[in-house]
Amino acid sequence: MQTLKYRIIPEGAADGVVPLNWVFLDKKDIDAAGITDRQACELIAKELKDTCAAVNVMDMDGVTVTSDGIMADGAVAAIASVDHGFINHDFGFMPITPLPFTDQMLHDEPHMKQWLEDCYIGRKIYRGPLKEDRGERDSHNESMTLTGRIANNNVGSEAMNMVAMTEILIPFFGMYEVMTGGNVNIGIAGPVVSVGIGMVVSERYGRIFGSANLGAYKAGMTAHNSGKYAKTVKSDYPAIVAPKSVLAEYTLRAMDAGCVAGRDIGCSPAVLRLAQAYGKPIDLDNISKRAWIELESVGITRESLEKTVTPMSREEVIANADKIIPGMEDSKPYAVSDICQIKTLTF
Amino acid sequence: MKYMHTKLPDFYSKLVASAKQLNPDTEIEITGLESYKSAKLASLRCGRIEEEIMEVVEDPSVKKVEVIMVPNNPEVTFNSVVKGYRADGSCTKAVIDYLAVSGPTLEYHLIDAEEIVDRRTSRPQY
Repeated sequence: MQTLKYRIIPEGAADGVVPLNWVFLDKKDIDAAGITDRQACELIAKELKDTCAAVNVMDMDGVTVTSDGIMADGAVAAIASVDHGFINHDFGFMPITPLPFTDQMLHDEPHMKQWLEDCYIGRKIYRGPLKEDRGERDSHNESMTLTGRIANNNVGSEAMNMVAMTEILIPFFGMYEVMTGGNVNIGIAGPVVSVGIGMVVSERYGRIFGSANLGAYKAGMTAHNSGKYAKTVKSDYPAIVAPKSVLAEYTLRAMDAGCVAGRDIGCSPAVLRLAQAYGKPIDLDNISKRAWIELESVGITRESLEKTVTPMSREEVIANADKIIPGMEDSKPYAVSDICQIKTLTF
Repeated sequence: MKYMHTKLPDFYSKLVASAKQLNPDTEIEITGLESYKSAKLASLRCGRIEEEIMEVVEDPSVKKVEVIMVPNNPEVTFNSVVKGYRADGSCTKAVIDYLAVSGPTLEYHLIDAEEIVDRRTSRPQY
């Protein structure tokens, strides 16, 4: 008899805000059990019996990149959707193959210079699926798994119940907190996060965009491209996010590695306000007109970013992150141990 | 060759006939193609579905048949066309874009089945 540990944020967690089950598996635990990632997800499907869940397989020794180009500790190594013991044969599971380092990557994706930093160099990087990872998915399909009612999208950062039509977001640093037993803020994403999600970087095989060709939306652009409607596209959905101090820590690392906001990394409200507070350059001229419309709709104006402010130290920025980073002001803090159960299944 | 594809109305009538062949009181509900006002369907597969309906209604306990059409790829990209019209009915402009629509996969429709028979090629037997 073997065992497999898993973490589950159950439907109804966080005072009822979480609308569906989300399971997190550690690749180390899967490897120790001597099974494949898909087999581990199949075990979760059986374990949960007549319910459904999104499943993320995490490699915490790897690294990944957020949609706005910030490198992070840990990565999503596979995603799955399980419902009533089923995993859809073609669309229910998707591995994420680590990417090789190439000079072309460094040239075309300037935010990837972060990978050369001491804290990241030599570690496997997982972002989005390769062509062979996508299997039967067509070119139009997003990075999504689907089985029955449940969808797990954008490499494990959005999960939906297709029948109840509910949804919850978990930006990567939220996953990091879940895996490390830290703290999270849970609440409605709101307009600032809704806008920020669209401020992506261009990558090949990115977590959200890009395949063999570079994603069309570069740093300084908006993938939403929805004008004043960008602040509404994801604003109503709950989100599980890391404390703002964690987001600040990793974003400052990117800036310390030489990444310029709006040019090498995205122009999300969080990145722009952190760059301003930290006294780091912002490529204001590289931010597109369409992106400015969305930023201004949530109060981030060029004029406000051009204001001279006394730069804070790294420690000061992190300590004041709650004041500096806009968005999710009405969210509630939780210890991960209060919203996430650690369980063990036997097989 | 003209019979290689079945007209949409014929598809519906053939399925109803198949369901009621043994017992005219057998109910049949066909869902999933409501947005199609006109279409041609692969005749070979239509014949298979007629036969599969027969297979299901041969069980005398069956009083109702459901035929559920679900896209194999659950994330379907549509072309959206936004059109403006004048009072005289003439069209001013059409703006074309994409919209992906995702829905539940077929497993959602299998959860209450006592037996599942998968006749698609190269697919697992549930």
